[in-house]
Amino acid sequence: MTESTIAKLAAQDQAPLTAPYVAPDRAYDEAFSETRQPRLPWQPVMSAVHQLGTEGMQDRHLRAQRILRDDGATYNLKSDPLSPNVWSLDIIPNVIDKSEWLNLETALKQRAHLFDLIYKDLYGEQRLLKEGVLPSEIVFSHPGFLRQCHGMHWPSETALTFHAVDLVRDQSGQFIATGDRTQAPSGAGYALENRTVVSRVLPSLFRDSQTMRLAGFFQTVRETLSQLASDLTDSPRIVVLTPGAYSSTYFEQAYLANHLGYPLVQGGDLTVRNGKVWMKSLNGLSRVDVILRRVEDAYCDQAELRSDSTLGVPGLLEVARQGNVIIANPLGTGLLETPALLAFLPQISQTLLDEPLLLPSVTSYWCGEQEHLAYVLNNLHQLIIKPAFRSIDNKSIYCHQLDEKALSEVRAKILADPVAYVAQDYIPGSVTPVWDNGEMLARPCILRTFSVANESGYCVMPGGLSRVAESTAEAIVSKNLSGSRSKDMWVLSDTTETDIDVPLDNLPISQAQVANLPSRVIENLFWFGRYAERAEMSLRLMRTIFKQLNGIDHFPIESREVLLGAMSEISGSQPGFIEQPELLMQPNDELAALVSDGQRVGSIKSNLQLMLACAEQVKEMLSADTRIILNELRDHIHSVDRAYVNGLPAVPEESLDGLVTSLLAISGLNHESMLRGMDWMFQEIGRRTERALLTANLLKTTLSKPLPSLQQQQVLESVLLSVEALISFRRRYRTRARVSYGLDLLMIDRSNPRSLIYQVDQLRKYLEELPQSDQVSLGLSREKRLIIKSLNDIQLADLESLAQIEESTQTRAQLTELMGQVIEQLEQLTTIISDKYFDHTAGPQQLIKAKWKNNV
Amino acid sequence: MRYRVRHLTEYLYGAPVTLCYNMAHLLPRDTHNQRCLSRRIAVTPTPVYQTEGVDYFGNPTFYFSVQEPHKKLAIDVECYFEIEQNDLSNQLTLHDLSCAELRALIQASQSPELRMVKEYTLDSVHIHRSKELGEYARRCFTDDTPVLQACMDFTHQIFEEFTFDPAATSVSTPPEQVLKDKRGVCQDFAHLAIACIRSLGLPARYMSGYLETLPPPGQEKLVGADASHAWFAVFIPDLGWVEFDPTNDLMPNEQHIVTAWGRDYADVTPLQGVIFDGGDSQALNVSVDVQRV
Repeated sequence: MTESTIAKLAAQDQAPLTAPYVAPDRAYDEAFSETRQPRLPWQPVMSAVHQLGTEGMQDRHLRAQRILRDDGATYNLKSDPLSPNVWSLDIIPNVIDKSEWLNLETALKQRAHLFDLIYKDLYGEQRLLKEGVLPSEIVFSHPGFLRQCHGMHWPSETALTFHAVDLVRDQSGQFIATGDRTQAPSGAGYALENRTVVSRVLPSLFRDSQTMRLAGFFQTVRETLSQLASDLTDSPRIVVLTPGAYSSTYFEQAYLANHLGYPLVQGGDLTVRNGKVWMKSLNGLSRVDVILRRVEDAYCDQAELRSDSTLGVPGLLEVARQGNVIIANPLGTGLLETPALLAFLPQISQTLLDEPLLLPSVTSYWCGEQEHLAYVLNNLHQLIIKPAFRSIDNKSIYCHQLDEKALSEVRAKILADPVAYVAQDYIPGSVTPVWDNGEMLARPCILRTFSVANESGYCVMPGGLSRVAESTAEAIVSKNLSGSRSKDMWVLSDTTETDIDVPLDNLPISQAQVANLPSRVIENLFWFGRYAERAEMSLRLMRTIFKQLNGIDHFPIESREVLLGAMSEISGSQPGFIEQPELLMQPNDELAALVSDGQRVGSIKSNLQLMLACAEQVKEMLSADTRIILNELRDHIHSVDRAYVNGLPAVPEESLDGLVTSLLAISGLNHESMLRGMDWMFQEIGRRTERALLTANLLKTTLSKPLPSLQQQQVLESVLLSVEALISFRRRYRTRARVSYGLDLLMIDRSNPRSLIYQVDQLRKYLEELPQSDQVSLGLSREKRLIIKSLNDIQLADLESLAQIEESTQTRAQLTELMGQVIEQLEQLTTIISDKYFDHTAGPQQLIKAKWKNNV
Repeated sequence: MRYRVRHLTEYLYGAPVTLCYNMAHLLPRDTHNQRCLSRRIAVTPTPVYQTEGVDYFGNPTFYFSVQEPHKKLAIDVECYFEIEQNDLSNQLTLHDLSCAELRALIQASQSPELRMVKEYTLDSVHIHRSKELGEYARRCFTDDTPVLQACMDFTHQIFEEFTFDPAATSVSTPPEQVLKDKRGVCQDFAHLAIACIRSLGLPARYMSGYLETLPPPGQEKLVGADASHAWFAVFIPDLGWVEFDPTNDLMPNEQHIVTAWGRDYADVTPLQGVIFDGGDSQALNVSVDVQRV
């Protein structure tokens, strides 16, 4: 059935309580009965939709999108870091009634339990294989069967901590499992985010609905993870291991880590020493007891598994095997995701549980068995062909869409290696209403449910992640979570649920501990501060230059040379005006490039991109307000792009104002809203160091060369303007634009937060606060000596002599020398801080590090 | 027969290695005719962490991690063994299970043992079955030939047609290449034989260990002249795993000492792992002595 054959009727023109669409044949309709009346649990939802009307719904839809973007619910950053894709959510919840849900829940618990037993059997006794319940080739041929995991220590009776199931409903409304996620199930965090958003945009509907809450599930997750390491410690340290910011579900990982209260770490943040796992943190190495992992099995340990992995922790498998760290889910669980298992699940259930399987799976055929193969070859046109062993380039083949020629190709492919293929019946799945550009449409949907082990077995999240296909013709929902629109799933209770009180006393101590930060996070915050400052300084100078270029005053060549040269110097973007003096009279293209060419190292846009990349790496550390400002900044970058699309626009500074405002908002927020922890400290150190370096550089490049008085005044005032000091200067010194007065305000005035001394003095204070190693050292540390030396150099300088022009060189040689010295000392300081506090072993963050180095 | 084996492995690095994690398959295992009397393993610099374990295939493992900077890593293993006669050559004429019969048994896998043996009929890291590999062994493994005789014929065929040449291959040379070049070392011949036999649907596994070599008559045996060795074994239902050595054209009896077995070399790599730092250059010295005691 195609889109056009479905009668589409605008929701508001219909009586509220009849279906606004005709569901495709054979499909169960989640929301409406055969008589086109809303099913009982759906009635409140439908009347809410009706009451809101098209405009109201559209408004709520847009609000939801905005919340998602501000929450940073994005994915697929690889494509374009400036315009990340926003998680797609339909605001109409999927609704199911509690009694129906309870049946499903029982079946899901049994299934999780069964998969736990299968895991333990396949990595242990292998009864299933010996007794022929499961053909041994399925396991022995599977690249995910990690023989290295033999002898793995399991902390408790239950080895499989998390289990997720993808479900569809057949025509009769019966739930059918189409696949299991056992390795690092994703989606629970998205489900939580969906719930948060939908309850915010449809507050009264949610409040009155008696929807079962998700909090209890996540509380169980916390308790279970804490419990896992109970043999090791009473106060377990738990971390979430992520593949990194380019993982497609990175938002969810960061979101979950924050919600659960655990540090989010990458492989390179952890190290194995003395047979245990440690996190490399600011305070040295701190022990890790439990790892909630989102890295796939084979990539977790370069020593014993894939040696080419950049995501793992070398030596991790051995620590886990000895039980000195608990990984959830344990390594080797990827094996259980093979669809071949589904063909044998009923017998497996009888063997391991001595019970019939409660939740049916989609009828599956493993082509390695003769009768199955024969059936598959004869009925290919109505089957889905899936690889038995998951790999990246093997997609499911939906044979009902293929012509004869394509079918015979599939046949040949299967026959060449039957063991590697599984066929499944095609179930169109149920349809559910979605809000689509002002109307309600029917879309096929699937549901992912989540279970977590607890003391008595498994706890199932009352709800889940529902996802819909983009048209009725394609009842295919992308395997990739982020590739399809999602929905919140409401389980309606008949009684009002009292909010779950999390008894604070019962919280394990680890959650009350002050979070210790991985070195990588600190490093990214440090660079975030530096890039932000670098972008801001460039922006300010650029605006000043634009004012001079387009101003009413004459802009003589001497002033041009100094100010444009300073622009090249500050941005560090070569070749610039210094190497190409011919550009001085035709500066437009070069200036446009310095603003908007993201590929140009040192340009404003490239600094902002790098800053955003650092922010992405530490997503979990950013406040909601910071994320909103970063989104505004992204929008402003887009407007700059638009304004600069044909080179320098007529009013070039206009579009830059938004960028400056956003950057100011970020630094203001840091000052007013951020706790003075180490994360704040390093961001500030980055900021202050960068501002000190650039200020010293600016003074050196603009004031060293003596100029005729008019030009001297023009340059000095421009510099003062660019650092927001012109008004103060005029108030203090009227119009006497002497260089020594300028130095007074820009160099040694402690009341000016943009003066050089202010930065250095702040840095000195911060250094006092940094954790020091336990080693007893004699006297001051090197970094403290450097900062005190710089402070003294600046304080003791005689401003009049600095402003003096040296006969032999015709420059302000003392000023040049002093600034050169301060710059060198500050650069040494950053090297020491970086060596001391950041991690330098080769790891997943290698690429970005290299970029930074080119930029310094 | 009693033996003493001394196996010294040395890695030399261009720059200090600051940290390493290693999994070793260097400790010998017990088999139906081999018993380890005593064993000693010493790593320098002293590992800060080390454990002994047993892997999936029942082989002893030794895992260690060195955390102090070192430019040289030495692993010194010394073991004493007792090996009983295990002469199956008389079976060559007696045992009449045919190749076709064994293939049918494996395919039907009617017993737990046969179901588990299937693991050795499938592809593994270094070995991928192919028509071409199967073709090379087909004239020995005709349907009616007793399988044991076929294995011996095939061992002989490899011995005759291939040249022992350490320069021709590396650790990861695939069997297809070895078959094309007709050159290699014991590991290549073992991999090739296994690959061909599996391509015909029969179970074969990789054997890793040592071989006692005897000096030419009248000459004294040189220290460190022995080497680690590799050969293969085929599963025959009532005999178990029967071993063949294509490098020396014989059925191992009491001169082959087993350290480990698996699907191929990747399962029993003597030393695997990762190092941190260490510069660009690495050198490896291995010396093995097998002595009768």
